[in-house]
Amino acid sequence: MRERTIFTLVVLSLVLVIIGYLVATQVDLSGLMPEQAATSSVLVDKLFNFLMGVAVVIFLLVEGALIYAVIRFRRRAGDETEGPAIHGNNTLEIVWTLVPAIIVIVISIYSYRVLTQIERPVDSPLVVRVIGQQFIWSFEYPESGVTSSSLHLPVDRPVQFQIEAKDVIHSFWVPEFRLKRDATPGQIDELTITPTQLGRYPIRCAELCGAGHAAMVGEVVVETHEQFDAWIAAGGRDAVEGGLADDDGDTSVAPDGRSVFVEFGCGACHLLSDGGGAGIVGPALDGISNIAASRVDGLGAEEYLYASITDPNSYVVEGFAEGVMPLIYTELMTPEQIDALVEYMLTQ
Amino acid sequence: MSVQNTAQDEHFRAGKALGLDHLKLGMWLFVGSEVMFFGGLIAAFLHYKVNTPSPVETALLDVTLVGINTFILLTSSFTVVLGLARAQNDDRAGLMRFLGLTALLGTVFLAGQVYEFVALYQEGVTLSSSVFGSSFFTLTGFHGLHVLIGVGWALATLAKAVRGGYSRDDHIGVEIFGLYWHFVDIVWIVLFTIIYLI
Amino acid sequence: MSVETPTASKPIEWRRYFRWNTDHKVIGIQYLVTTFFFFMVGGALAMLIRTELAQPGQDLLNGVEYNRFLTNHGSVMIFLWIIPVLAGLGNYLIPLMIGARDMAFPNLNALSFWLIPPAGVLMIASFFVGAAESGWTAYVPLSVTAPMGQTVWAVSVVLLGFSSIFGAINFVTTVLTMRAEGMGFWDLPLFVWGMLATALMVLLATPVLTAGLVLIAMDRLAGTLFFAVAAGGNPIFWQNVFWFYSHPAVYIMILPAMGVISEVFPVFSRKPIFGYKAIAISSMAISVLGLTVWAHHMFTSGMNPALRIPFMITSMIIAVPTGIKIFSWLATMWEGKLRFNTPMLFALGFISLFLIGGITGIFLASIPVDLHVHDTYFVVAHLHFVLFGGSVSAVYAALYYWFPKITGRQYDERLGATHFWLNFLGTNLSYLPLFVAGLLGMPRRVADYAPEFAIYNQLATLGAFLLGISTLPFLYNVIISWIKGPKAGDNPWEALTLEWQTSSPPPEHNFETAPVLSRWPYDFGEKVSPADASEASASAGD
Repeated sequence: MRERTIFTLVVLSLVLVIIGYLVATQVDLSGLMPEQAATSSVLVDKLFNFLMGVAVVIFLLVEGALIYAVIRFRRRAGDETEGPAIHGNNTLEIVWTLVPAIIVIVISIYSYRVLTQIERPVDSPLVVRVIGQQFIWSFEYPESGVTSSSLHLPVDRPVQFQIEAKDVIHSFWVPEFRLKRDATPGQIDELTITPTQLGRYPIRCAELCGAGHAAMVGEVVVETHEQFDAWIAAGGRDAVEGGLADDDGDTSVAPDGRSVFVEFGCGACHLLSDGGGAGIVGPALDGISNIAASRVDGLGAEEYLYASITDPNSYVVEGFAEGVMPLIYTELMTPEQIDALVEYMLTQ
Repeated sequence: MSVQNTAQDEHFRAGKALGLDHLKLGMWLFVGSEVMFFGGLIAAFLHYKVNTPSPVETALLDVTLVGINTFILLTSSFTVVLGLARAQNDDRAGLMRFLGLTALLGTVFLAGQVYEFVALYQEGVTLSSSVFGSSFFTLTGFHGLHVLIGVGWALATLAKAVRGGYSRDDHIGVEIFGLYWHFVDIVWIVLFTIIYLI
Repeated sequence: MSVETPTASKPIEWRRYFRWNTDHKVIGIQYLVTTFFFFMVGGALAMLIRTELAQPGQDLLNGVEYNRFLTNHGSVMIFLWIIPVLAGLGNYLIPLMIGARDMAFPNLNALSFWLIPPAGVLMIASFFVGAAESGWTAYVPLSVTAPMGQTVWAVSVVLLGFSSIFGAINFVTTVLTMRAEGMGFWDLPLFVWGMLATALMVLLATPVLTAGLVLIAMDRLAGTLFFAVAAGGNPIFWQNVFWFYSHPAVYIMILPAMGVISEVFPVFSRKPIFGYKAIAISSMAISVLGLTVWAHHMFTSGMNPALRIPFMITSMIIAVPTGIKIFSWLATMWEGKLRFNTPMLFALGFISLFLIGGITGIFLASIPVDLHVHDTYFVVAHLHFVLFGGSVSAVYAALYYWFPKITGRQYDERLGATHFWLNFLGTNLSYLPLFVAGLLGMPRRVADYAPEFAIYNQLATLGAFLLGISTLPFLYNVIISWIKGPKAGDNPWEALTLEWQTSSPPPEHNFETAPVLSRWPYDFGEKVSPADASEASASAGD
């Protein structure tokens, strides 16, 4: 009987370990994670798979024992006896203290190794300053002096982000890169990433930063070195919506005001039904063309709107605070984009 | 009967014999949590002292005045001890004398603190002049509040003694107050060291 | 110790539940009922949040309202429900379990309770002056510039902190000095061990949060500069102070729950608890270790990189004492005679759900994985499995288990089982999909999300409403059974802890004569010699 128990236990542990090994190495868990778009993604996912292997084993062990006990040891009708008076078992207790201890130490060591690989210093990275503020990300390339609201990165070149915040804490996160770092006012935090996949990925703010937190979504464009250089050469203007420098150099396409509204995330703070804006941080913009015309004596709607975008503190609407709207739109937008946005506002 | 009655369990079983009165144990626990409260404020003070030093404002601190004040507060701890000894000897008049002296010394300390605060405000060191000002006034202010509560407590204990309370067999109230008062004193020694001496 | 027929047959004076009363049993019921009310308030906020999230886009709540609801959902659930409801259980049970007549400081005990209603009213009333909207974490500088309600919120949390601290002083003093004759530390029921470990954490950690809230309040009201970045203020300092309390708070919310589970398993397995000392010691180990792990909430905050490693290791090691408990409960069931009354169902549910919360905790402790999932719905799912699947399941187990003791009447098992299954399914449906949403890239605390996360959120919203519905059979069961349930008898579960050795409900002074411990609380099993069992089971058996 006792030998049979030991045999069963050995077989069960073997089966569990094999299942764990298969989960960690063979089973495709990529459906649980976004695309792998950086070197860090591959490393984190490997560690994640390993942890899933351990987790599945522990889960099956505990749930299996629980369900087995529930079925096997349920009281039969009419049985008023009690179970055996067993108070403990030193061997068993030592095993279930030591084995988990060893497992978590192994996990710690593995995690530490992955961490050092992720954070390994790199030579001559592309430096990008990441600035978070309510509720927009902006990016500065110190080498070229370019400032942009979208993040462009050349593929396979390490990037060192220098992350800061202007108002409250934000958190810079690209799920496809698997890394995030808080943007904290008063300090600059560094994060190094090497993107490996061409494509466009969302940048999501991961730290609650106020009413427009959910809408604080930016975009990272991972592109070839040639595309990146061209983008920098064009002053960091977005080739698609901006209409300034398309790939074929055609600059004649007029920017579309509604796209500008969407691209720069105006809707995070401003309500505008047509542009999908639902924010309430700033004044609502539905019907703005009529309001703008009569807001300030002696100032036409167009002038008023232009001033409100380029110098938001010039005419602050009653009930809203001065200094809330970022002062960076003249830097981020081309003059054409600002004009297009004003024009679009006039139709609303 | 009960299980595992081995020798090493025996002294655990003696747990009831901690020899502590309810009130005294409760007070110790309360003091423990107060230590953590001041620990939080002290951590804030030290954090800003290290990371955002204010040498000019620190130099304005009057170490001599506060040193004398510290001596006064330490003396008041001594008077509480003497008062308790009187109570244990059934000497109510002596108890009253020393409780009164304790309250008086506490009040003198508070007066010194107010004088110090006013002087600093006149020099331009305020709650909102710098993180040093913020953390200095918050930390010493909360300590001052504890002294104020202690003075009130001393007077309440005194009032009970005047009405004929406390005796050789019943002086737990004096002891509890003493515990609190010593705690306030010890916190001050820590504060004096980290704020004025280093 | 002999058990006599209750003298407490005089009509229950219901008004005493609305007054200052120093009887720990009255205070315990005041705690349980008041906190359950706040549980429903927090639940209503949760369902509003889930309704907003039922589909992408912002329909029901705007960004500000959403943030206010999520902040107060978290604050109400943590500070006004789980922490105080467990204190309420401790209040009702500790004196009975250790054979004391009352708590050591009855008036302080009443004060602990009476701080809760005003604090709760303040927190809810803060909606009228612009409620707190910076999350229950109140990260600075967002919380410094938030509207007036943030100050009200801070005052409310400080009051609740005082309530916790006074309660903890009472628990420790009572357990250390008022045990029945013959009751050593190794005879303490494991629920009492859990409360003792919790009380020590409360005493050490809660005042630090109070100090931190003082700093925020000073910044908001007195113009101090602690968190004013331009003047050298430091937002990270708040995070350290906050998590120094709030991570231990997780153990404050789970250790008493584990204590409940340790009471339920032996009784319904008819076996001694397996590894009594290991369970007791692991509670104390968790309470000590729990004070050393707080910075694992700050791996992405740009803290000193080298310091992350020790915090990762301490966080991982907490899995060991936690594992000891789970394995010990499983071993307690082994070869037992399991009875599936509602408390046992919830205890089994506790293991299943808490297990998921615990395992995902390992993922979060591993720094590289945390860098991805921190501040995402993965964390939301993890903490709800721990606190809802874990703590709340245990609270339900406790309410069913001690219902006959508190009311003298028996609840309806069928309604109890219905409640359990709705709750169990609802919990899994609500929170399992959120793990995936978080892994795939959905941040937490968002009022809107990308369309690709819709399916997970729809499932979670369905689950949330299922959870809302699941409270109905519970409430119906409790109210109806309390009024006209069948008489339960003094010891319907044939349990051995002291609270079952007096009448149900217990008389005003708990025991007619000073109880003497005659039997170890988990002395179940077939090898007990008849002489030892005589007294306790003679009174329990009829």
